Amino acid sequence: MTITLEKMRADVAAIIHEDPSEIGFDDNLMDLGLDSMRLMNLILTWQEAGVDLDFGEFAEEFTLSGWWRAIEAKRANA
Amino acid sequence: MTSLSANLIGSAMPSGEQLLTEAQAGLWYVQQIDLSNPILNASQYVELAGVLDVDLFRQAFAQMLEEADCLSLTFHNGAFCPSQRLDASTRPFLEILDLRSEADPASAALTLMQADTARPVDLGKGPISRFTLFRLSEDRHYWYERIHHLAIDGYGIVLVTNRVGEIYSALKSGTGTGTPFAPFAQAIDEGVAYLSDDRRRRDAEFWRNELASLPEVVSLAGGRAVSEHSFRRETRHLSTDIFSALVARAERAKVTWPDLLTALVASYCRRYAATAEIVAGVPHMGRLGSKAARVPCTLMNVLPVRFENTDYLPVDDAAVIHAKRLMACRRHGRYRSEQLRRDLGLIGGQRRLFGPLINVQPFDMPPKFDGLDVALHILGAGAVDDITFTFRGDAKTSLMMEVDSNPALYSEQDTKDHSARLISYLESALQAERLADVPLASPNERQRYLFDANATGHAVEDVTLVELIERTMHTYPDAPAVVFEGQTLTYAELDRRSLALASQLVERGAGPDRLVAVALPRSLELIIALFAILRSGAAYLPLDVSHPKERLSRILSSAQPVVILGEKNSADLFEDAHLPPSRWRQGAQRTDWPVSSPDNLAYVIYTSGSTGEPKGVMIEHRAIVNRLEWMRQHYSFGQQDRILQKTPATFDVSVWEFFLPALCSATLVVAPPEAHRDPLAIARIIRDENITTLHFVPSMLSAFMAEPSVEGLAVSRVFCSGEELTAEQRDRFHRLIKGELHNLYGPTEAAVDVSYWEASASDSSSPLPIGWPVWNTKLYVLDDHLHPLPPGVAGHLYLGGVQLARGYLGRDDLTSDRFFPDPFIDGHRIYKTGDMAKLRADGAIVYLGRSDHQVKIRGLRIELGEIEVAIMASGLVREAVVMAREDRPGDKRIVAYVVASPSLVIETLRDSISKKVPDYMMPAAFVRLDALPVTSNGKLDRRALPAPVIEMAAGRRASSPLEQLLATLFKEILELDSEPTAESDFFSLGGDSLSAVQLCLRIRTETGSDPGLGAIFEHPVICDLAKALEKAGSDEGLGPIIRLQRGHPNLAPIFLIHPAGGIAWGYRHLAQQLGGRPVFGIQSPTLSAAAPSPESLEALASAYADLICLHHDGVYHLVGWSVGGILAQAIAVELQRRQQPVGLVALLDSYPCDCWRAEPEPDETAALRALLAIAGHDPLAHPELVSKDAIIGFLKQDGSSLGGLPDAALDGVIRSVLDTNRLVRGHYHKRFDGTLTHFRAALDHKDKNLTPTLWATFCAGVETVDVTCLHPQMTSANAVHTIAPEILFRLTVIEQKGLA
Repeated sequence: MTITLEKMRADVAAIIHEDPSEIGFDDNLMDLGLDSMRLMNLILTWQEAGVDLDFGEFAEEFTLSGWWRAIEAKRANA
Repeated sequence: MTSLSANLIGSAMPSGEQLLTEAQAGLWYVQQIDLSNPILNASQYVELAGVLDVDLFRQAFAQMLEEADCLSLTFHNGAFCPSQRLDASTRPFLEILDLRSEADPASAALTLMQADTARPVDLGKGPISRFTLFRLSEDRHYWYERIHHLAIDGYGIVLVTNRVGEIYSALKSGTGTGTPFAPFAQAIDEGVAYLSDDRRRRDAEFWRNELASLPEVVSLAGGRAVSEHSFRRETRHLSTDIFSALVARAERAKVTWPDLLTALVASYCRRYAATAEIVAGVPHMGRLGSKAARVPCTLMNVLPVRFENTDYLPVDDAAVIHAKRLMACRRHGRYRSEQLRRDLGLIGGQRRLFGPLINVQPFDMPPKFDGLDVALHILGAGAVDDITFTFRGDAKTSLMMEVDSNPALYSEQDTKDHSARLISYLESALQAERLADVPLASPNERQRYLFDANATGHAVEDVTLVELIERTMHTYPDAPAVVFEGQTLTYAELDRRSLALASQLVERGAGPDRLVAVALPRSLELIIALFAILRSGAAYLPLDVSHPKERLSRILSSAQPVVILGEKNSADLFEDAHLPPSRWRQGAQRTDWPVSSPDNLAYVIYTSGSTGEPKGVMIEHRAIVNRLEWMRQHYSFGQQDRILQKTPATFDVSVWEFFLPALCSATLVVAPPEAHRDPLAIARIIRDENITTLHFVPSMLSAFMAEPSVEGLAVSRVFCSGEELTAEQRDRFHRLIKGELHNLYGPTEAAVDVSYWEASASDSSSPLPIGWPVWNTKLYVLDDHLHPLPPGVAGHLYLGGVQLARGYLGRDDLTSDRFFPDPFIDGHRIYKTGDMAKLRADGAIVYLGRSDHQVKIRGLRIELGEIEVAIMASGLVREAVVMAREDRPGDKRIVAYVVASPSLVIETLRDSISKKVPDYMMPAAFVRLDALPVTSNGKLDRRALPAPVIEMAAGRRASSPLEQLLATLFKEILELDSEPTAESDFFSLGGDSLSAVQLCLRIRTETGSDPGLGAIFEHPVICDLAKALEKAGSDEGLGPIIRLQRGHPNLAPIFLIHPAGGIAWGYRHLAQQLGGRPVFGIQSPTLSAAAPSPESLEALASAYADLICLHHDGVYHLVGWSVGGILAQAIAVELQRRQQPVGLVALLDSYPCDCWRAEPEPDETAALRALLAIAGHDPLAHPELVSKDAIIGFLKQDGSSLGGLPDAALDGVIRSVLDTNRLVRGHYHKRFDGTLTHFRAALDHKDKNLTPTLWATFCAGVETVDVTCLHPQMTSANAVHTIAPEILFRLTVIEQKGLA
């Protein structure tokens, strides 16, 4: 299963009990209540789906678009 | 903002130097408090099982080291603020230690690791980290990592460790080695950006609201929370059941399990601290959304999170409340807690921002190394100020708990108990609907303290008091029953007269559960009356006719006694009911009336209710018989006993005095009316009547012991009850009186006393317990929800058992307020005493005071008795009472009332107490009284204690010279309008860490001794700090800068630079002659053994320039003798380089370094002989002085101040001489752009080619002044007469020219 930006948004929405449409791609997810525990749970799921980023890389920029850029960059380098 | 911090922001750092981040600055101050404390060494080891490729490991490590530049940081204590720089020369390397030949390689490795972790790091020199690979066997390695927290936090270590694993695995499998770390500079940049970011302003705003009206922060133990050098640790693995219950419960509540766990632990802590709210420290990674997320560095913050009491809510709802709060706090988690402490003024002394730390790390997984099994072991994770609960989860099934505690605050047993109790609390909490349903005590504690400790069952004959009395009367008719003022009644006479009166009472309507009032003074008639009432089948109701009429009439109208035995005028409202002794029948005519049974009333005693309405406590025969039989047997009373009756009948202590003798055919000796308040009269009765047993209310005991004739008294037993008996009273008793002392406790509602404690001479308990339950009695310490409490926790004291009263007469409403069904035993009742108490581990109960008078000041529970003990132990006062008063709302203070001779100086008393109690227990005011006020029962009348005139104590002016100095410094540094008083607190007045550093430096300058930053944090109050400085004054005068002359603050100061010996004391004569200018002496850092040697004379001059700039801002005037002159020139060069104005540079017979390079290196003897020169002698004149002892002896004889130096200081001087020589030889002068004034020792250097012109190439000009003396005499009083006016003349010229 490959990861998509929409899938990531849906996962984030589920874990903070929000509707996906409520989350902007450039929203600071910390302000939406995403914490390290929840992030770690998301990362574990996404790593199983083949995303090769670790916690620190996710933590650096805390928006969906930032994450997506990092994933794209990683794919380009692979 | 203080002027220092204003300077800080504008100051340019030397190249390569950077300011610390906010996170680092907080830790830096922690380390400054005690430089030798190794607690900030974060360390761990990774256990690698399997065949490790050591070369690949080394390679992986090297690559990580290239990336993690923070590992080569060094930290420097600059003149204004700390700084750091990356210094590649301090980069650590991988040590490989082969322990394969050791008998037990693993334990050998562990020992080495622990020893290394316990070693403090030199932050200035570095390296601040260390890495060792221990080879235990072919297939087992320990990789040890130790890094100072200033460089890295827990998450940073994870990054570093995992990175090595990542690279190792990649190298092994031949894949890419992943993304390297971002540089350390990124963390610095982000930190700097945040300082001026709008986000920081919003965060500050959030915290200001969040922490508004923060109560005093408490924890699980009282005391000052400052980390020791080590900590205690208890590790427990939590069962998978707990973990799965936690996860399931969190899911149900829709919160994360770490947040739920945090809330549960906080609830445990809050309940243990017995407060309405607890502030827990919650570590916050601080990396989410941060550019520094992947930078190994220190970012971790600790968030103060408030946990209120939500135990009454469903657990799931409570969890959501706390989880929301945690989330809100995390969103603003970048704002530093150190800054918060400054914002809230919570620095120094006992103040704190949070109590326990709760740290949940859900993903605590070991690093991955390809082909190896890896386990991670944490050795040290930073300071443990108080107590830290850490939970480490592996994200799957297991959870490990570590309880780390500060050994200064928690014993090993405390730490173990918290671990075990918290686990059982979590187990129950996860199953409970509300936390209020979960007891704080563990099941073991519940069994032990609720049931085992109360297993007091004892068979007591089920009879009435009447039956027991009559048995004695019939068995021992001729024994003396009562003695009063020379008259004696035998038991036969007492039998006859009481029976006669009883028959008369029966005719007037007395009988079971009817009341007969007694209003008689102490007399034979009083005793006859009491016995008669009981024998009539009725219960007696004692009345005190001195009480207000209104109170008496209320009692009488509610009690409706059938008769009042007393004089007519005793209560004229009930005139008809009176039966005065003159009308009592002398012989019985009949005895066939109905008798009482054990569940009929024996007496009713009225107590004052808190509402002011008197309440009649109804005690049945069974209850009082239990109490009397316990006492008779427990203390082995017998016929030989003579018991003093001196307690008023309205006070229930009198009950055993009246009736116990009749249970053991002993004699009751009735004291004359009013004698109970006269110590001399009591002492006389004891002697004259051979009293064996008597009772005192403790405050009366104190008054009694103050009576000189008491000394040497012997009695069998003294009982105390009615108020707190203190340890001090116990000890004084045994010094003065021969006999047993027993402490009893009990409210009127439980038949006199329910607990006992033998306050023997060998008892050292403090506070003195009220002890153990008597027969058939239970004592419970329960929380607000009637759950048992563990030892040490304050709770409500409840009583149960056979002695409980039936209730309040005619007031079923009040009865049901206080008497409840026993929650632990069906069909039993308990009584709520309204007293606070706590259990000791041995089950003895400690009384803590009334629940409405609990003493808590600044959040600390204070044992007032302990302060009383300290006051009495001073031997300066006769009596003392300490209480907490709140005369102005919100301003609770401890006030001590003392009875002492008029010559007592309160300050002397204060000093004595300060040696025994911590500063937070020091009374804020002392009030002298001629005598302590007592109530009619002889109890201390607290309400009659006057309010103190606080202003006098709080406003004491700084008196000693040291206090005055500190007051001046406080005023200057904190920019106060007026001089603070001796009780002023540095931090309360607005001081913070930065201004504390400034204060520290100024104290060092003014007194020459270094208080250390820690001393200021520990003693922020002027008078305490002054005391601490006096105590620590041993190294006085060896600081880097000393004030030689106070001078006028408007005049530019003169800095005198030390000669070779490193000390500047020799300039005292000179300083005195310098026309009232401020004069400072600059001294060598080498005087302190701990200080590293300066690397060059230039570096030393630069450090001196820092120091000088810190103490003055304007034109700098420098003077130095001998080597001091060389230094003065170098400092002048450095100041000019910094574009600072230089005025006078005077050299006292100094010659350039080139003149000395060829001279032989001095050895220790030469260095010692240099002391002679320093003391003003010509060494050549004393060739015989070559040994240390001889030289010191000579100096002592001569009266030189050097001779009086302590050994450590002398060693410092010798070190300085040797070191200065090295520096001088290695120094090459730079040019000073100005004139050097050279004072030449005109009588010296005849055969050497030393002339002032040698300086010509190193300055713009040299002018010479000849002084008629030898080189060693340049600072003597004679030479100074020439030198000082010349200096002053030049200063005047310079200043008039306006060179500034």
